[in-house]
Amino acid sequence: MTQHVVTVLKPGLETTVQELPGRVGFLEQGFPLSGPLDPWSFRLANLLVGNHRDTAALECQLLGPTLRFERDGFLALTGADMRAKLNGSDVPQWQTLPVNAGQVLELGAARTGMRGYIAVAGGITTPPVMGSRAVFHMARVGGVALLEGDTLPLGTAGPDLALKAVPEAIRPVFTADKFWLVDALLGPNDDWLSAEAVAMFFASDWKVQAKSNRTGIRLSGPDFSFAHRALHKNPDHGQDPSNIIDHGYPLGAINLAGQTPIILVNDAPSTGGFINPFTVASAELWKLGQARPGDTLRFRAINRAGAATLRLTLDRATQADVLTTP
Amino acid sequence: MLHDDPRLYPGGDRAIEVELGDGMDFTLNFMVHSLAAAIRKSEIRGLEDLIPELASLQLNYDPDMISYEDLGCEVLRLYDGIRGAITGELPSRLITVPVLYFDPETTNCILDYRNKYPDKVSDPDLVANLNGIAERTDLARIHAGTEYWVAALGFWPGLCSLMPLDPRARLVAPKYNPPRTWTPKGSIGIGGALTCIYPDKTPGGYQLIGQTPVPTYDAAQRLPAFRDSLALFRAGDRVRFRPIGPLEYTEIKTRVDEGQYVHDIVDYQLFSVDRYLRWTKSIADLPANAGVGK
Repeated sequence: MTQHVVTVLKPGLETTVQELPGRVGFLEQGFPLSGPLDPWSFRLANLLVGNHRDTAALECQLLGPTLRFERDGFLALTGADMRAKLNGSDVPQWQTLPVNAGQVLELGAARTGMRGYIAVAGGITTPPVMGSRAVFHMARVGGVALLEGDTLPLGTAGPDLALKAVPEAIRPVFTADKFWLVDALLGPNDDWLSAEAVAMFFASDWKVQAKSNRTGIRLSGPDFSFAHRALHKNPDHGQDPSNIIDHGYPLGAINLAGQTPIILVNDAPSTGGFINPFTVASAELWKLGQARPGDTLRFRAINRAGAATLRLTLDRATQADVLTTP
Repeated sequence: MLHDDPRLYPGGDRAIEVELGDGMDFTLNFMVHSLAAAIRKSEIRGLEDLIPELASLQLNYDPDMISYEDLGCEVLRLYDGIRGAITGELPSRLITVPVLYFDPETTNCILDYRNKYPDKVSDPDLVANLNGIAERTDLARIHAGTEYWVAALGFWPGLCSLMPLDPRARLVAPKYNPPRTWTPKGSIGIGGALTCIYPDKTPGGYQLIGQTPVPTYDAAQRLPAFRDSLALFRAGDRVRFRPIGPLEYTEIKTRVDEGQYVHDIVDYQLFSVDRYLRWTKSIADLPANAGVGK
């Protein structure tokens, strides 16, 4: 079976196996969902190699890995452009790439965006842990980030694989001007902020801090002021205005710890003692996976109906029929 | 401090926060778990995840299968079915956790923090002062003198929020501000009116008073206690801390490292909510300064 593997020659910067929908059903025991931070790019990579769009694939962060393929097959690269080379020659993203046994795929530093995806026909078949192959690196759930010398098992590819591409017009755009407009909803705890602070949040620029990772995107910006409810509360909530009795944390919540907003992404804590005044729309989460330290975020308030439209649009954009033949 | 009716708050387009009350007490938390059990039993289509917490629950749902409004109505309907039912018996394991109070590792961790923030009072002294306890030995005795209720799990795999079941052993402490960047694995901390056991080396904010050599989380599932789960505790378990000395700490640690340690878990008891509430009431009627307390 040794030919059915990918060998890790260089691991890159925390490259992990991810899968959708992630580790569903274990939040109450403290296990985050995990899964790819940019599910849009992730799904397109899988579709390009004929996999189900939710199949396990690799997520690379900022600096990609170097991998040797030990059998003939197909791969696809999406997400951040990491200047990929196959056996020393540049290869394009967003299309099916045939690969031969012994060939080496080398990814470098991301040119635009933050996270690149590598899907392989047949998918990665590491053993699922608690129902998912998604890796939560910090707690070693489902494995850890790739290490030099690791081998990855692959599944069997479908019988007839046509070469496909994602037309430029329908790819996610990783802004060149370092500015992202992100749609978000009020709640669950917007009533802990003053009306001025709610307005300020949607009117301000928020800079992504370098201390951001798969657990949270930390933001810098103006200070928040609080509502009466946050300032005069049962002492069980804690002393800081942003403290609340420990509660569940929604995915994409904009968590306010003191005066630091932290957007809770896929490996974020499941619960905690700070308020979540706003929550990013689920179909907008992919942007958080591609925003780089130093980029600026601006939030726009939408309602649940607006979020539903975005979900539908994103779902349509990640179906096999959007692919074209190059 | 239960609300008259649960309050619902949207958490984006895929989650609802259901707040049952305002405060941190056994009765409120028991209602949270009763509602969680009723929701689980009803097998609501489109419900993906359920997080019972101290005074609230979070429901994650697939909005293409059930709407926020319909899920909210269903939760309120289920709550009506259990309203006021703070009664009954439930299976509750008793897990005894050995602790070396005021151990060297957490002591070093506290020193490390105080090098950066010299105004920070050493954690055991802070907790003792705030709770009117003169000696560290009394702090350890009071902390180990009650069973704890596993009120919630979360933040990190295996991390538990423990509520003292004996109201006389209620200790309170503020959380670190700013938080610690690291905490030794197995540290025992107090924050608010809760105790926690750090399952891993993680950031943290609770005041540290000791360390257990016994794992409460094991990604490799080596010991028998982790056969079915990577995490030791389940909501509704009870925990008791057993003070140990440095020699026993080392001895237990060795057994853990060799894969020989068997957790002390009693799994044949029922927890009677009615009898518990009667008992707490009888304690409240005792003269002050009686019992395990101060």
